[in-house]
Amino acid sequence: MQSSAFLTISDLWIERGERDLCKRLSFDVFSGDVLRILGENGAGKSSLLKVISGAISPLEGKVFYGGQEVTNDRHSLQESILYLGHSAGVKKVLTVEENLRWYCPSVSSSELHSALEALGLLSLLDSSVNTLSAGQIRRVALSRLWLSKQKLWLLDEPFSSLDAEGVGILEKRIMQHTASGGAVILTTHQDLLSLHSRDISLSL
Amino acid sequence: MTYLSFIKTEFLVLWRRKQDVFNALLFFIIVVVLFPLGVNPSSDFLAPAADGIIWCATVLAILMAIEGMFKEDYTDGSLEQLVISGLSLSLLMLLKTTAQWLAVLLPLLLMMPLLAEMLYLPDGSFWVLIVTLVIGTPSLFLIGSIGAALTVSLKQGAMLVMLLMLPFYLPVIIFATSAVRAAQLGLPYLGLLAMLLAVFLLSLVIAPFMTAIAIKASTN
Amino acid sequence: MSWTWFHKLGSPKWFFHWSKSLALPLFGFGCICLLFGLVWGVAFAPEDYQQGNSFRIIYIHVPAAILAQSCYLALGLSGLVFLVWQMKIAPIFIKAVAPVGAVMALMALVSGAIWGKPTWGTWWVWDARLTSVLVLFLLYMGIIALQNSLNDVTLANKAVAVISVVGLINLPIIKYSVEWWNTLHQGATFTLTEKPAMPAEMWVPLLISTIGLYCLVAGLALWRMQTEILIREHRSNWVKQEVMKDGL
Repeated sequence: MQSSAFLTISDLWIERGERDLCKRLSFDVFSGDVLRILGENGAGKSSLLKVISGAISPLEGKVFYGGQEVTNDRHSLQESILYLGHSAGVKKVLTVEENLRWYCPSVSSSELHSALEALGLLSLLDSSVNTLSAGQIRRVALSRLWLSKQKLWLLDEPFSSLDAEGVGILEKRIMQHTASGGAVILTTHQDLLSLHSRDISLSL
Repeated sequence: MTYLSFIKTEFLVLWRRKQDVFNALLFFIIVVVLFPLGVNPSSDFLAPAADGIIWCATVLAILMAIEGMFKEDYTDGSLEQLVISGLSLSLLMLLKTTAQWLAVLLPLLLMMPLLAEMLYLPDGSFWVLIVTLVIGTPSLFLIGSIGAALTVSLKQGAMLVMLLMLPFYLPVIIFATSAVRAAQLGLPYLGLLAMLLAVFLLSLVIAPFMTAIAIKASTN
Repeated sequence: MSWTWFHKLGSPKWFFHWSKSLALPLFGFGCICLLFGLVWGVAFAPEDYQQGNSFRIIYIHVPAAILAQSCYLALGLSGLVFLVWQMKIAPIFIKAVAPVGAVMALMALVSGAIWGKPTWGTWWVWDARLTSVLVLFLLYMGIIALQNSLNDVTLANKAVAVISVVGLINLPIIKYSVEWWNTLHQGATFTLTEKPAMPAEMWVPLLISTIGLYCLVAGLALWRMQTEILIREHRSNWVKQEVMKDGL
């Protein structure tokens, strides 16, 4: 059973401060999946993504990746994960290009240009992130999705501060990614326009 | 992300934020100036105290500089990206500390001849002072990075970092100033330099590891 | 050898019930021992031929100084235990013991100063031992400050464990460097604790009061830990039962 699934979460139990989250949560992720995590504010959506990425350790439960248990040593999983959190992870004092070169040092400049073109950022290539708007900064962070080769994307509220056009672009990119065998786990409060997703609900 | 792209970006950020480094150096100069003005400007007082003044000012300036070391990475989310990058967090922390150390130490060393002159540092001990700074300050940065990592989630962490870290800095200050003084008296000082080196090696083994634990706990 | 007790320590509930009946006897026994040792030392032990009656303060100074160091050792070890085995009881122990250790260090400092006045003529001398106790006191204050500044329990646990372990590694170096620094600057001519060949009627009460203070501190630590456990586990059912048992 575990061999067919790409990533398996079993019996997960997260403790955050005073609260228990995701009691006994189990699910599988297959390639081609778009998994949407639903839940109220504070239900532990972001925490779940952080646990999968290895930023925090679960109280109980196991994480399997490619048939191997990676609960304690996430290195193999982390190499194929692209995680975008609430804060974009974009350095303000650097330019757009420098930020992307930091995360993806090996991309060619034509790849970089086409990714930025897709997001409408090409003219901002050399401007400092300081001068950009919140939506533009979000787009800079998202442009990593065009440049990286990771199979599993963990996106925490990827649509926040994006305009309608941006949402459309991002959904199209997610579809491309899953069509080519990748998988996406995302949290969002918005309805997905064109994407079909499996939903997982977290209750308090 | 690779180690190489990380260290390149670190230096780039340091270069863009050079004002922070300048601030630490200006703070260093002001602390040094306090002593002649506040205590005694005569060479009778300054000459024997020069090495102590320089070292105390260095320690304070480094603590000021190091407190904000992870602050921006914490708020913009890049610290989180480092934690889940799949690279060794300890090694990343070591690289980051090294970059910070170079950025502060090199200009500090450039100012030393001038300050040594202003404080009437006795002849013959200048180069020993330089050597103690070169092998003593890495320990300060390594140990200090633990404190900076522990308090990164606090808005006002500077005072706490001072309180936490100053006791750990005592051995470095004692061995360094003793070495300079031994050199002034014509006594052997290599043993003291060896002690400084030993403290450095111990910090090198322990500190990046502890900093990584603290960073991981803070980004939760 | 069975290691179950070690694993049981991971459970605050088990620890609470195990230590419940232990705290009061330890504390009481400690008080009696300390009082006995103090009275014997202060009233009946022979006078020191060199320092006269002022030496009698060692019956409080030495136990306090020993306890201050032992507490720090315990803090560092439990920090290590927490970082390696994630044992839940370890940060509770650190939080409970750090203020007690700080008080011990302060007691040693104050009694040292009181002894210094008739002996050296000043309240404070930069003596190696006094200076390292002062540094120890500052280390304790750092731990307490860090604990109080961090609101997130998970982060505070980790942070305090890290700083305790780093402190434990550094403490011998600090002590050595301070002692070395002291020889350079020529400190006191005779010290408070290193008396060659102390007669039995002098060191036996010292031993008794030290043991007494150990037990007293252990009892105090258990009490503080129990309170902390109740606070941290206040949502669980066993705590509710425990609190309701004696009525409100």
